[in-house]
Amino acid sequence: MMEGYPLTEENESTPRRGRGVAIIFPSPKRRWGLVVIAVLLAAVAIAMVAGHGTGYAYGDASARTALPAVDVPQNAAAAKKLQAKLVAQNKQLTGALQKLAPSGTYIVVDQTQNRLYIMNDDKIVKTSVCSAGSGMILKDAGSKRKWVFDTPRGVFKVHNRISNPIWKKPDWAFAEEGKTIPKNPEDRFESGTLGKYALYLEDGYMIHGTLYTRLLGRSVTHGCIRLGPDDLQAVWDAAPIGTPVYIF
Amino acid sequence: MKATLFAAIVTTATAVVAASAPAPAPPSSDDLARLAFKNDLLQKRFDLASSKEFYLVLDPAQKSMSLMYKAALLQSYAVEGLEVGVPQVLYKSRSDASGWESKVWHKGALDPVRELDRVEVVAPPPTAEGTEIEVQVPQTPEEKYPVPPRYHIRFEGGLSIEVRPPGSDAEGGFWARLGQRWNAWWADAKAASSGDNADTVRLHVVMSKKDADSLYRALPPNTALLVVPPSP
Repeated sequence: MMEGYPLTEENESTPRRGRGVAIIFPSPKRRWGLVVIAVLLAAVAIAMVAGHGTGYAYGDASARTALPAVDVPQNAAAAKKLQAKLVAQNKQLTGALQKLAPSGTYIVVDQTQNRLYIMNDDKIVKTSVCSAGSGMILKDAGSKRKWVFDTPRGVFKVHNRISNPIWKKPDWAFAEEGKTIPKNPEDRFESGTLGKYALYLEDGYMIHGTLYTRLLGRSVTHGCIRLGPDDLQAVWDAAPIGTPVYIF
Repeated sequence: MKATLFAAIVTTATAVVAASAPAPAPPSSDDLARLAFKNDLLQKRFDLASSKEFYLVLDPAQKSMSLMYKAALLQSYAVEGLEVGVPQVLYKSRSDASGWESKVWHKGALDPVRELDRVEVVAPPPTAEGTEIEVQVPQTPEEKYPVPPRYHIRFEGGLSIEVRPPGSDAEGGFWARLGQRWNAWWADAKAASSGDNADTVRLHVVMSKKDADSLYRALPPNTALLVVPPSP
């Protein structure tokens, strides 16, 4: 026996020669391993086939809607009467819907994205970057008062328009800045803060200008809508008293 | 005298022509049904416009979805594709998808929800005049409201809108894409198999990433939905 060479002892994994074909017989351990792999592969295959049919099956959504069932009178005169009634109902509903919709110019404020749109008959006339409410909650530990700086959602109207507005600072403006709330009302007035114009909506909410134009596009206000000077001018020119303002 | 005679002739001739003209045919049942269909749709639009709900109007024929309030158009999104899906388990459908167009769906909510980051601040004690209070610059909407690559607007009653911009699962590398697809499939398979929690009908709406992001960031809570059925 030469050193360095393994013994040529036969075992089950040794290929047996028979008629020129080498047949490999795996050991019991390997055989079990192969069985496990085969089972796993089969399970994955079954899962894939079954899985493909589990979930949501999508198809064409353009299927025609079936006509609603209408009791058509046999009598021609009665059928005409029904037709006239339906036509009248159609006119009445169309008119009522048109009355609800704003006609002409209206303002739309998307407070989540801080965008203001001047609309005219469903068409966007101008898009501006604005700032809406921050959603912050300010608590005054001393007085236990709490203010929530949200911009309200809904439809409002321009109630009043003021050029060169003077801001009458509310209590929160002092609390926020760590200042004592003044007893004299005259100490509340501040000019220049609201920019060149203010369009009053409801409950003290306004569309106005800002000194902090770098913060436009971010939710920073106490509920009002702030605009840059050029955009404020455009809104001022487009929105007379009574203009609807939709905030969402 | 001549004028009176002429007028009489004209009147008589008109009456004769009118009498000899065939009477208009009575309306067919299809005509009446179409009118009733239009009125039904108008009534639903009117009811939504009269309510205090924000609502979406999905119009597959116009390829648009509009966000409305009180009959005013607030935002319009271009719809690039629309499919309707039903839950199925082992190829067997688990719900009936018919009738989804002809009703108003209420209380639409985003899934995953858009979190409102409410920061509570305690007012500082009164300080000396001229003391600067440190103000942090808030995030932009893009930073504040990250939009998932796939989201749903789920309505009460079992209809959901699934918004997936085209090619949204093509972002990232191979493993990221595979992971996204696996997660989507797993979530769907789980939802479809879970029975009561499954969406009865799911509308897969394809819109541009810009519109999908905008819709996610802007959708007001409890939004209703009306799908405009094609005119029969």
